[in-house]
Formats: sequence, structure tokens, C-alpha cells
Amino acid sequence: MAQIILSGVGHTYTGAAHEEAWALNPLDLVWEDGRTYALLGPSGCGKTTMLNIISGLVKPTRGRVLFDARDVTDIPTTKRNIAQVFQFPVIYGAMSVYENLAFPLVCRKWPRERIAEKVAEVAEVLDLERELRRPARTLTAAEKQLISLGRGLVREDVAALLMDEPLTVIDPQFKFLLRRKLREITERFRLTVVYVTHDQNEAMTFANEVVVMSEGQVVQRGSPEELFEYPRTTYVGYFIGSPAMNLFPVSTDGGALVFGGTRLRSNYDAAALPPGQLQVGVRPEYLELAFEPGENTLAARITGILDQGSVRVVALLVAGEPAKLSIPRGRRVPSGDVLVRLPADKIRVYVDGDLATAGR
Amino acid sequence: MSRLYLLLKYTAILLWSSFVVAPFLWALTTSFKTVNGVTSGPTYLPWLQYTPSLSGWTGLFGGTGGIDIVQPYLNSIVVTLGASAISIVLGTLAAYGLSRFTYQLGFAKNTDIIFFFVSQRIMPPIVLAIPFFLMLRFLGLLDTALGLIIVYIALLLPIAVWVMVDFFNNVPRQLDEMAMLDGCTPLQAFASVVLPNSLPGIIVAGLFCIIFGWNDFFFAFTLTFTQTQLLPVAIVALNSSVTPWWTLSASALISVTPLVVIAVLVERYLSRGHLAGAIR
Repeated sequence: MAQIILSGVGHTYTGAAHEEAWALNPLDLVWEDGRTYALLGPSGCGKTTMLNIISGLVKPTRGRVLFDARDVTDIPTTKRNIAQVFQFPVIYGAMSVYENLAFPLVCRKWPRERIAEKVAEVAEVLDLERELRRPARTLTAAEKQLISLGRGLVREDVAALLMDEPLTVIDPQFKFLLRRKLREITERFRLTVVYVTHDQNEAMTFANEVVVMSEGQVVQRGSPEELFEYPRTTYVGYFIGSPAMNLFPVSTDGGALVFGGTRLRSNYDAAALPPGQLQVGVRPEYLELAFEPGENTLAARITGILDQGSVRVVALLVAGEPAKLSIPRGRRVPSGDVLVRLPADKIRVYVDGDLATAGR
Repeated sequence: MSRLYLLLKYTAILLWSSFVVAPFLWALTTSFKTVNGVTSGPTYLPWLQYTPSLSGWTGLFGGTGGIDIVQPYLNSIVVTLGASAISIVLGTLAAYGLSRFTYQLGFAKNTDIIFFFVSQRIMPPIVLAIPFFLMLRFLGLLDTALGLIIVYIALLLPIAVWVMVDFFNNVPRQLDEMAMLDGCTPLQAFASVVLPNSLPGIIVAGLFCIIFGWNDFFFAFTLTFTQTQLLPVAIVALNSSVTPWWTLSASALISVTPLVVIAVLVERYLSRGHLAGAIR
């Protein structure tokens, strides 16, 4: 296990001449030892590039990579001792399950008995003891992903475990099981884990810390709680949480924010906000149906209801602006014209898309 | 409906099989005939239609009016297998490099280098006869098995490289990457992960090489004289004023046999199924 530091690391696939075409903008990032991180972002935002830079499959155009203060930028993948699980299961099709798991140790020239011991140990953790003799290509996709993981676990002290959307090709009924298994294993082995995903639920349940990327840049990093409560940009508010954060255009009137003709009470002093386009964000989970007029209460009209199992998502127009509100199952959902309240302490203010820090 | 389909299917298969087998049958019967048997019109049933004779076969092993086929046969095996084996080893390594790494030789990049390899086969062989002759003479390798092996390697290598580059390009790169993540050197990754997955490609390339080497007459004829005779040349030497059809038939059968045996042996490796499951 190691602390992994990316220092000024940036990458472009087009060659150094066109640095405006960064696949990964130069950035500084520290992955702490023994913690689980989720790297979240839409397709093509540089997540996979970052993983490949850590494992050495891609040499960064700029910057240094350090494992525990040791510069590994020029050290080949072979010597970095990184375990990586790709999006599509990669197994050695011509080998048995046992040979697949033993392979990294064979490369390291371990004695045969020690290999057998270690493989048995890891196979037990993965629940693959009974499959050891089978040709690896006959396994299911989920089992193949476990083997990919297992090839990392057999090696002692891997520097980090990198997972690149490992559940993409897994059938839904196994997804849950495999995710729990992964979590169990990363906790038991106290691994430094970077888990790439574009599924925010996966990220929120898996990680100690979530890193959100967009267009080759880190937009925000923090605990799942922080990202949910204080998205730093409207992009993060949109990307984290389902349904996405509601955003309403607002104006100011002295010290107050005004939305749809209603003066909103909030934790912000509108007079202290920097100039720019103003929006307030409220999570659908915090938007409330109200039954009588009052503070922060606006007229709204319900336009549709979407059943999502444990919650129902109500689509509505608040002062003409589309919004979503989620209600726990079992609560009665009215129809037609209703009143909606924006809880004062749950209102976030964004100036030109960035969370306002002044005036709070 | 399905019964009719089966009937049609097997009829078609049967027709095609007879079409393929007929020449062999013809050669087989002819090889047991004598002058009278051959000239008296088409006949197929021994004893009933013609009197079988072993003279066609004895003619191949030093019998009267024939040749001794054993030495040319051995020569052909040595030259074909030697050249094919070396071509496959060199070609596979070259192809792996061209498939996985980026090269720059002056203006030439990977695709140019691959084209350069393949372009060696664009010229008609006759253009190469004189240069090869002069080169082998300079080396003192005319009329030797080693000389022929060298010439055949030059001719087979492009085929091997071409087939294998295409094959390696279809072996997912993640396989190599995973092997390196697991701690292999590039060579270990190649030998223990990529190669086992490429067996069908190697077999296809090997088959091409063996077929070409075994059947080549032109270079075997122009670059050897008396000391090192290959099978095709020896067979052609059978031709005299009276064509000995029986001996020629026997020699045709005996020379095609190794290729048939090899084809049958490797047929099951040729399915791409061996690759399936490496990455999915």
C-alpha cells in the first residue's frame, strides 16, 4: 500500500505541440494510503487516462507520479506493482483459474508451494475454490472480474488497486453481489483503491471520498456527504444525486434573493454576493410540499409522477421553472396545483455556476 | 420442411465430396495400372477392368525406368520444415513488435514497414531467380539444402509477418497490459499470455509456409543441380518420351499425403473459438 501523488500531471494524446487538447489537464492530486476513492465523471473526461498514468500504461506528457515520495514516472508498469481491473474482464483464456491467479507469482518466480498456498488463500476470499481447475474462459463475466481482482490480491503489498468501471458488463442481479464483495475485500485488505465509475450511486456507496471530474479537470473532491450537500458547481449538483439538483434563476433585492416574485430567506446575504448570473440550487430530496402559504413557499403545478421504487419523483413547474421533488413511498401525492417550500438551510447559491462562498 | 432441407444439404455435401475425392481416386487407380490399363479408356475396378501392377510404386524406389524418391523426399522435408520453422519464429516476433510498438525508420512507420514486407511478394518469382542464383553462388551455397532454406525464408517471412500482424492486431492489447500489470516483462507477456492466444494464427501462417515450401518447384529447380534434389524436381525428372502415368500418379499421391495429414491434424485449431473468452 502506498500514498500516491500526482504532481502537475497532465496528458495529451496528440503530442506536446497541442497542449490545448489536454485529455487530462495538469493537476495535483493525492490518493491517501488505505482509503477508497471513487473517481466520477462522464465518459471521456480523463478518468481512464488518469488510471493508466498511475499504473504506467500511459506516460504523462507532463508532471511526476510518486508512490510514497518515490518518483515512479519513468518506472515501467511491470515494476509498479499496481493491480488494475478493467471495464471488460481480462483473463488469460488459455489458462485455468488456478493458473490465472498464480500468474503474477510465477512472473515473480515464487516457489511452487508458496504459490499454491497463496492462491488457495485468495481463492477462498473470492469464493472460487471450487472453480480452480476450470478453464478460465468458461467463467461468467462476474467471476472473470473477480479473477482480475484476485491477480492483484495474490501479490503482497500492491501499491494500489485501480478499478475502471468494473461493473459495466455485469448482469444487474450480480452487480449488487459483486459490489458488496469488492467492498468487503478492499476493507479487509486495507487497499488504496481508486474506483472509476460514471454511476454516482456506485461512487457514493463505495467510497470514503469522491472525486468528480469534468473535461479533464477535477471539479470537486470530498466525502459523499459533502458532495451531496455542498456541490461546488452546478455541474456537480447535476451529476451527483438522482434526480439532479434543482436549479432556479434568481435575482436580488437588497439583501434577499428573489425567485418567482417571492423573497427567499436563506443562509446567504445577497448583498455580499459577487456579480454574475445567480441561481439557487435545492436537492429534490429537500424540496417540500406545503399545505399553506408561508416562508419560502411558492405556487407550483404537478406535471408528472415517476415511480422509482422506494421513492416517487414528482415533476413540477415552480413559478414556471421545471423542478423535481422526491417523496418517500407511502406518502400521498396530490395532483394539479400545489405549494412548494424551499427550506432556508438547504438553499445553495451559485454565481456563474460556482457555489457562492461569500455572503454565507 | 426440415427433412427436405437435410436432404438437400447432404446431397450438396455428397456432390462436393465426390468432386474433391475424384482426382485422388483417379490417381490411386492409375498408380496401379500399366501401359495397357492407362490406354484402354477410363477404368476404375482392379482385377475386373484392369490388371493391377505395382510397377508404378516400385518406380519410385529405384525400380526400372523410375527414380529413387527417398532422398528428395527427405530433402524436401528438411528444407520445408527448416524454412517454415525459422520463418514462423522470426515472423511472429517481428509481427508482435509491429503490432504493439511504434517504430520510425527514417520516413517509414509501422504500416510502411509491414507493406515493405508484403511488397516482397509482389514481384514475379522469375525476377528473383538470377539475384538469388548469384547470391547463393557468392556464398557457395548453390545446390545445398541450406541455400534453399535461406531463399525460402526470404520468401516465407513476408507471409508469416503479414498473417501474424493481422492476428496480433485482433488480440486485445489489454491482455498484454494486464500481464505487465501482473509484473511480467514484455517478453514474458508475449510468451505466456499472447502466444497461447495466438496459436490459431501461428498455425495458419505455418500452414501457408509449409504448403508453399513443399510445393515450390521454381526455386528448387533453378538453384539446385545434382546434389540436393527436392521432391517436385525429382518428380518432374520422371517425364520421359513415354509419360509414365502410373509412376507420376503414385508420386502425386505420395507427395500430397503430408499436406493432407497436416491439414487434418491442425483443422481443429483453426477455429477462432480458441481466442473467444480472452476478453469479453
